[in-house]
Amino acid sequence: MEQFIINLLNGLSYGMVLFLIASGMSVVMGAMNIINLAHGVLYMIGGYVGWTIAVKFGAPFVLGLLAGGLAAGFTGLMLERGFLRYLYKQPNEQVLLTFGFVYILTNLSLWVWGGWPRMPFTAKFLSGSFEILGRAYPKARMATIIIGLVMAIVLWWLQDKTRVGAMVRAGMDNKEMAMGLGINMERVFALVFFVASCIAGVAGVLGAQLLGVYNALGLEILLLALIVIIVGGVGSVQGALLGGILIGVIDAFGRALFPKLAMFTMYFTMIIILLVRPSGLLGRRT
Amino acid sequence: MKTANQQTLTIPRQGQRINLALHVAGVVILFILPAFLSSYIQSVMTRFLIFALFATGYNLAFGYAGLTSLGHAAYFGAGGYTVAVLKLHYGSDLFWVGAPLGILVATLVAAMFGIIALRVSGIYFLLVTFALGQLLYSVAWNVSWLNTPGMQGVSGLSLPTFGIAGFALNTTSFYYLVLLVCLICFYLLFRIVNSPFGRALVGIREGEDRMRSLGYNTWLYKYLAFVISGAFSGIAGVLFGYYNYLISPTHLGVGTSFLPMCMAIIGGVGTLLGPVIGAAVIIFVELYASIMTPERWPLILGGLFVLAIMFAREGIGVYLWRLCNKVGHHYGSTKS
Amino acid sequence: MEALRVEGLSKNFGGVSAVDNVSFSVEVGERLVIIGPNGAGKTTLFNLINGQLPATSGRIHFLGEDITTIPTHRRAHRGQARAFQIISLFLNLPVLDNGLLALHGTKPYRFKLFRSINHYKLISDKVQDTLRALDLWEKRDELVKNLSYGEQRRMEIGLGLALQPKLLLLDEPSAGLTMEECSGIIDMIKNLGLDITVIVVDHDMDLVFGVAERIIVLHYGQIIADGAPEEIQADPRVREIYLGIEE
Repeated sequence: MEQFIINLLNGLSYGMVLFLIASGMSVVMGAMNIINLAHGVLYMIGGYVGWTIAVKFGAPFVLGLLAGGLAAGFTGLMLERGFLRYLYKQPNEQVLLTFGFVYILTNLSLWVWGGWPRMPFTAKFLSGSFEILGRAYPKARMATIIIGLVMAIVLWWLQDKTRVGAMVRAGMDNKEMAMGLGINMERVFALVFFVASCIAGVAGVLGAQLLGVYNALGLEILLLALIVIIVGGVGSVQGALLGGILIGVIDAFGRALFPKLAMFTMYFTMIIILLVRPSGLLGRRT
Repeated sequence: MKTANQQTLTIPRQGQRINLALHVAGVVILFILPAFLSSYIQSVMTRFLIFALFATGYNLAFGYAGLTSLGHAAYFGAGGYTVAVLKLHYGSDLFWVGAPLGILVATLVAAMFGIIALRVSGIYFLLVTFALGQLLYSVAWNVSWLNTPGMQGVSGLSLPTFGIAGFALNTTSFYYLVLLVCLICFYLLFRIVNSPFGRALVGIREGEDRMRSLGYNTWLYKYLAFVISGAFSGIAGVLFGYYNYLISPTHLGVGTSFLPMCMAIIGGVGTLLGPVIGAAVIIFVELYASIMTPERWPLILGGLFVLAIMFAREGIGVYLWRLCNKVGHHYGSTKS
Repeated sequence: MEALRVEGLSKNFGGVSAVDNVSFSVEVGERLVIIGPNGAGKTTLFNLINGQLPATSGRIHFLGEDITTIPTHRRAHRGQARAFQIISLFLNLPVLDNGLLALHGTKPYRFKLFRSINHYKLISDKVQDTLRALDLWEKRDELVKNLSYGEQRRMEIGLGLALQPKLLLLDEPSAGLTMEECSGIIDMIKNLGLDITVIVVDHDMDLVFGVAERIIVLHYGQIIADGAPEEIQADPRVREIYLGIEE
């Protein structure tokens, strides 16, 4: 029984990281119809910058979180303002362009940080474990679950309950109309993209507690985000959350029960969802 | 910001002769020139041909049917891995076995993946093909039967044999074998693209709803285009297995899937042979990069790609095509 | 003989009834015009008949057979042809290609992989005849997007007709046309044989009354009037909708 709980918690903590990774990408896809394949690289940049601040310079972990988020945010902003803004409503081109940037940014990261992987790191007060049901459980994982839940609530609130959320939805449907109503759509888009990228960066630092940081992350994280989005559905925070938790838990139990199968449990889930409900569990049916 | 103005393939009457002349000249050069070059250059040319085939086969789905797949390396690699497994477990490098089997395996994988991927459309399609490609990558990484003991992938592959005593291929003759296979494949693709089927693909790309109203079973067309393009990718993969002496999971992954797309875009998705031009550009830039700055090659590739998307969306091939038409037009009008 | 019969047809979009319990039938050769204010559900009705949308409830019978669950492309084979509200021609392709694609749609050799499309002489001739009749043969290499709107509209309808359909669905054929172009369309429809059944959705009253033998009025997804043009003109409910006059 204790093992079950442990597995569940592992699944939840991993799932929260997945949720954070996927949520930014999914919201941007749903609200702005922009496909950003470089999202995984933003995660990685966040992780690297977080490492630089928190480990190399020994600053507090929270500062690392902040720095990682901002670094990813500004990289994303550059991407959007410099390139993606010219490609609204051209999904093919967006995909291709952002994939080109995966290569560019991954290689640049390699140049700056070198090819050796960084070990998982966390805040000093989060290192070590505490007791749950007679077993030791890492504090860092627990913190990740809590932070993830908090962010889920905040994001859901932003998406459904604020003017910004409504503005983005309106603006994507009919830009001229929204602008005619006095909303500066360019700025709203830039803001949304910036925030989504920041979240990716924060996810990168949080995830670094579990996975560390390394150069192949750019594509690996992209793949994970996509699986989560396919399973959970595009466009909503709820979908990303459901998808993330589901995949995280399935993965955790999969590894515990069938260690040989490793990543395949995720793929199986994805394929089943595709065959049975292609738009994702919480996705809008086309 | 222009979107690609996909050219139709009704070869305009005027440009036809210039077009044909250029093609014939190109083939002649490919036949004669390498005989005078070093075997190293021949090897590079072989690599170019293999990827030109991969990219052109890919473009049947990408450029003509409008299916943006980011997982075609699965079919390419499937072809290569078939050759590898035959050598690793059965000690065979017979071309007569490896090639048909490799194509078959690649086609089967494409048939299976096509059914899953075509459950969704648009961008989801891209995401799903990407994930499926990575699935195969994962399989190749983890299943020990697909790996030479002690490493990732299969090594020790060699040029194919034909079961003819005393006859062995070398770099030069292998080049000509690859050239022959490519020419046959390009010819087949040419026929397909100009057939009612090929034309329907363009229609589906341009307006799927209308095509359905006109009586076309668009899903079936897309599926067939996908599987056929997978088959041609598999042929390229088989050749690659023999050429490269080594196959690894990387050849099933997104890095390899990215290449034909890159080549198609740079060369021009709207023409049959645009991807060939794109392949030439990339293979030869890669050559120089590998000499000058090998670590920065992904950066260069990504940069080339971004430039192509932002500034030359229609690709080089389409510009050449238009040039042909202009020249042909000029001659056409002066004739009558 | 009934060309089309629609029974209790409804289409809901999450609580909104775009088409609400619509029933009517159309005889072979009849000229039916459907009118109604914007948002009344006319295009949705067409989407249901032609198969772009699945019905939430109800049945559709075409030439005596139940086609409710049959996909669009099979409906084309049974004889439906449609012109869309927004011109659906392939704008980036030349006129000739549009013609070839339209005429190949229901032919068995549309799947042929290896013969050149020009090989099929019968179709090539038919395309040529059709384009000549539309005065577009000279422009066959011209991209459709470079034609005038009126030419495009004429072409779309003309290609639909070349398929010799049994049922022709025209969705706002007069939209964006000049008076002259519009009367050209009216003549085109009037010259059609009686083996073709025609259903038109439109707002232009010249076209409506020039073509209709029967008019159905749709409002909020429901039929509120169905009869001969004179009856409809005199119907107080219709007048209320269009003119806001209460009798």
